Amino acid sequence: MKQEQTGTAQNTASRRAVLSAASLVAGGILVGGVGAPALGSGSRLGDAEILNFALEMEELQAALYAQALQHAGLTGELEQYARVVGGHERAHVAFLRQTLGSRAKAAPAFDFGDAVTDPDRFAAAARVLEDLGVAALDGQAANLTKPSLAAVASIVSVEARHAAWIRDLLGELPAPTAANPAEGAARVMAAIGRTGYVKGSA
Amino acid sequence: MSDDLQRLDRDGALAEALGPLAPATRRGVLRTLATAGLIGSAAALATAGTAEAAGEPQGDVAILNYALTLEYLQSAFYTEVERIGSLTGETARLARIVGGHERAHVHMLLDVLGRHAVAKPSFDFHGATDSQDAFVRTAVAFEDLGVAAYKGQAPRIASPAYLAAALAIHATEARHAAWIRRIAGILPAQSAFDQPASATHVVDVVNSTHFIVGRTQAAGMPGFTG
Repeated sequence: MKQEQTGTAQNTASRRAVLSAASLVAGGILVGGVGAPALGSGSRLGDAEILNFALEMEELQAALYAQALQHAGLTGELEQYARVVGGHERAHVAFLRQTLGSRAKAAPAFDFGDAVTDPDRFAAAARVLEDLGVAALDGQAANLTKPSLAAVASIVSVEARHAAWIRDLLGELPAPTAANPAEGAARVMAAIGRTGYVKGSA
Repeated sequence: MSDDLQRLDRDGALAEALGPLAPATRRGVLRTLATAGLIGSAAALATAGTAEAAGEPQGDVAILNYALTLEYLQSAFYTEVERIGSLTGETARLARIVGGHERAHVHMLLDVLGRHAVAKPSFDFHGATDSQDAFVRTAVAFEDLGVAAYKGQAPRIASPAYLAAALAIHATEARHAAWIRRIAGILPAQSAFDQPASATHVVDVVNSTHFIVGRTQAAGMPGFTG
């Protein structure tokens, strides 16, 4: 990924996110202990854990768009993209919070650095987070109960549309492969950790 | 009905058939999903399964054959427009790349289905491949429909491996839809929630186009009788 931040400060700051990923993968080692999620059987993640994982992705995306719209001086279609897609991500957050109810985790704190002050850095960050969002949701689909799968499917294709749109704006192929790749939770959380955007629980 | 689709679909046939799909309002989706009982309610799932079963492909083989028929349709459409050479610029590039994906989807499904695969129908696109304008508005309708079709079947697929394959295709179709919509000058992502479509509805849409002119019936398949 182009804009991976590999500095020591970012790695340290992202440690909690990675720890959080480890707990997610282990399926039940709770960090912070906020609202114990209903655990799935065996090593599989339960719906509440997966939807909380999706919620963190959506919170991350929504915050990126909100802050970039405030501080990056976006213009033209990139501004339209941020406005439209930001609205979608807020709707996804609201939907997942409503679905999870008291089981919804608090949003972590984010620090996007120049990804919310520089239009080019913003576009690159949005591309990474949108591609990652699609792969993350598809990677959990088989672990979800069918009603939750239907809900996540209504979100994942919208994320894929976002990814195609921002790729097109960047001059990249909107649809690079015939079969969109999926990623497991550990790899997704490690990728988020490498961005340095997540600074820990609020 | 969205203004966007009306603008694109001048003969009105697709717009009419797609009516129940668009617009996907957030309130509508929330109500639907809330009614379904989102997290782990076996009772709600059983109810939903019973209510939707009529007219839907039953079992993974029938679902994948339904998907295969849609992929045959899409791949034939892109392959023909490329052969005729009626497109230029970015639209021609899209047709070449997306056509390659649709042909790959056909091969993926043929590999999985083996001897159970439904045969490829014959197609007549009635001018939809003859001009850039006609191509673009048909492609927008078909890519959006493809997304909705896969989404409608995903929760009905039993095999985790088939589900993974269907979702990998589903996301790619959504990327295609966004790409062709941007070329058409309409919002690539119109709503925060994409709606699913039942096979009954999708078959009605496809039949309304009369693009499928000859077909081989497979057991358990919904009829494409255009």
